[in-house]
Amino acid sequence: MSLPARSSRPRRQALAHLGRAALAAAALAGSAPAAAPASRDEPVELTLWVMPVTTNAQHDIPALLAPWLRQHPQVRVKLTVLDWESGWNKITAAAASRRGPDLLELGTTWMPAIAAMGGLERLSDAQLAEVGNGAPFFAELWKTTQIFGRPGVYGVPWYADVRAAYYRTDVFAQAGIDPKQAFASWDSFHAALRKLVGQRLFGQPVAPLAYAGKNDWNVVHNLAPWIWNAGGDLLTPDARRSALDTPQALHAIDYYASLAVEGLVPANALEKDSDILEGEFVAGRYAVIFSGSWLVRRIFAAPRGAPVQANFDVAPYPAGAHGHATFFGGSNLAIFRGSRHKAEAWALIKYLASEPAQVQLAQLSSMMPVRPDAAADPALTSRHPAYAKLGAIVADGRAYPPIPAWGPLETVYTKHLGQLAELSSGVTEPYTVAKMRAQVARAVVEANKVLEEAD
Amino acid sequence: MDGSTPLGTAGAGPAMRSGPRPRRRRRADLFPWMLLAPAALMMLLVNVLPIVQGFRMSLLKLNQYTLDQFLDAPFVGLRNYRNVLFDADSPVHAGMLLALRNTALYAVVVTAAAVATGLAVALLLNRDFPGKAAARTLLMLPWVVPTYVVGTLWGFMWQRDEGIVNHVLVDVLHLMHDKPFWLIGGNTFFAIVIPTVWRAWPVLMLIFLAALQAVPEELYEAARLDGAGAWQRFRHITLPALKPVIVIQVMFQIIDNVYSYNIVAMMFGKGAGYPGEWGDLLMPLLTRQSFSYWRFGEGAAVSFVMMAAMLVFVGVWMRAFRRSMTREE
Repeated sequence: MSLPARSSRPRRQALAHLGRAALAAAALAGSAPAAAPASRDEPVELTLWVMPVTTNAQHDIPALLAPWLRQHPQVRVKLTVLDWESGWNKITAAAASRRGPDLLELGTTWMPAIAAMGGLERLSDAQLAEVGNGAPFFAELWKTTQIFGRPGVYGVPWYADVRAAYYRTDVFAQAGIDPKQAFASWDSFHAALRKLVGQRLFGQPVAPLAYAGKNDWNVVHNLAPWIWNAGGDLLTPDARRSALDTPQALHAIDYYASLAVEGLVPANALEKDSDILEGEFVAGRYAVIFSGSWLVRRIFAAPRGAPVQANFDVAPYPAGAHGHATFFGGSNLAIFRGSRHKAEAWALIKYLASEPAQVQLAQLSSMMPVRPDAAADPALTSRHPAYAKLGAIVADGRAYPPIPAWGPLETVYTKHLGQLAELSSGVTEPYTVAKMRAQVARAVVEANKVLEEAD
Repeated sequence: MDGSTPLGTAGAGPAMRSGPRPRRRRRADLFPWMLLAPAALMMLLVNVLPIVQGFRMSLLKLNQYTLDQFLDAPFVGLRNYRNVLFDADSPVHAGMLLALRNTALYAVVVTAAAVATGLAVALLLNRDFPGKAAARTLLMLPWVVPTYVVGTLWGFMWQRDEGIVNHVLVDVLHLMHDKPFWLIGGNTFFAIVIPTVWRAWPVLMLIFLAALQAVPEELYEAARLDGAGAWQRFRHITLPALKPVIVIQVMFQIIDNVYSYNIVAMMFGKGAGYPGEWGDLLMPLLTRQSFSYWRFGEGAAVSFVMMAAMLVFVGVWMRAFRRSMTREE
């Protein structure tokens, strides 16, 4: 039994209006004003939604905007700092109800979904020309402003989340390991980790490597570079099927899990989240950890003179048979479809994507710029050699395909790959390749179901 | 206004039934309805309309591709119910049987442990001793901790090597040789049960204590004179006296625990992780597999299935213990 998709019956329409009203109420107060577009000299209030990109975004973002606001005295920016947990619901509610801010920050994996919902303004050719058709930005990040397989650009990259290996130089020296050699290949990395077993720092044991298990949001981000570097992928080239069960991907998953099975990653690391593990790396509990650029700031936020501050360095992911790509994420800026101040919103976006603003944001936040010129700016690279290395690693950044279904897909992968981490801990049952393959097979079935719905 | 006709006497005499009712009287009849109207309106807005809307959503193909149509999304009848209940390939269905098993066990174990602990401590506190008021206040502390904080805190406490639980069990009390994992594997079930009990029992204790103080002391004195021991006094006086309260509290606890979310979500990745085969409950599963998957129609269907199951449970429970609740037994 089914009814037509749309009904003209007034009662149903009334119910639909009621529902939209509920969605609109769910969107934040202070959404786009209903007034007519302002003339050039009329005061304009732009509403801006951002995530907590710095530790004190309510203070830092106005500082970032200050130079632009001085040039646009008629504009006032009303800032709302969302959080990553509730931000998704607020943005989707805004997109569905068509009532939201004038411009907003979106995670790179969120953008295609919100754009596909019709929540974002597609950039015009003139606007694209103003930002060099994406040429100033890292190409992988520019791709995330689009919807896979469809024409159109819906925003501009704002800041980058790039991952790299952080290692303790003192522990490597103590174990007689050449870092360059250690990260040269998967084999040499494995050999280096084995040499690190039993190392101690100031009398305390140091585990070779740490990565988080199922109780974390980074499960997919942590594993993706290994899969890419083995020549595999998370999706087929047409982005319509899961590719987790290809031989290359299975090889990478097995390699990654085996590090825990062998005890090179301690089982107790698998019960923690990335935040705890980063803190423990800073405290000298692990010799190697994979993390983002924010870890540099965290290291220097430790008490002055903490041993890690003079004894860490950054390296690319160990090279697999197909390179040493790293995970590339971050956030983009976009104009909300319902904005009444699109011209002012676009002007602000252009400013925030400019080289000086990118450098300033990177200094405020420790996230990486989205433009090669900003990433190479001496104001950043001179702060610590790690930033210069991160700036080089960015060139190997790889982003997920910008498909609208990425959110559900990542949830599926997180669940099943998290279960694999539990399996590799050996707490419940011994790890075998057959069990790993069975878990991956379940992930593929579920992922394909999600992807089928997107077709 | 002078005192209008008392409600209790309205229509009491035959003379008042004949002829048109005085205007003041009609106003008096409306007065109770006027008092009820704001609450009824709020109930309509806050409860009834969302339920109607939720049921409508459960009949629609409402996902990220149709969300902008909202209640005009394609109508699919009962397909969402079929998918979530019987379609093994449905992403929302995946893992549901495990979550159902865990939720049933969790609700029963937490309820039993919380009620038993609350009752035992209430019995201990139902006697005079120095510092009784302070003890009662201190014992209430777990209850004032918000559930999401409980989940986060216990997430740290359960850590194998750094957590205080294993430190106490292994290093202090020497109850075990090896430190077990609590956040990985089968122990995750206990890792979610124990904090829930820890937070739930104090309020039950307070309720039972209030009920105990209403039991006439003469009954215990008479029983003592008849030679009844402590167990017999508990079995034949305390328990029957508390039965109405226990029956109601068990029902509320079961409902609360079936809908439990915060502790599990915060303990395992703050909502982003996966609690595992022994840690996943129906509400975290529902949240993850309807909101994160953007399958709102199927998510609404699961919610209605849960609501229907709980309505059946409440109906059966009320029917089974109706007499106990009204002390008619």
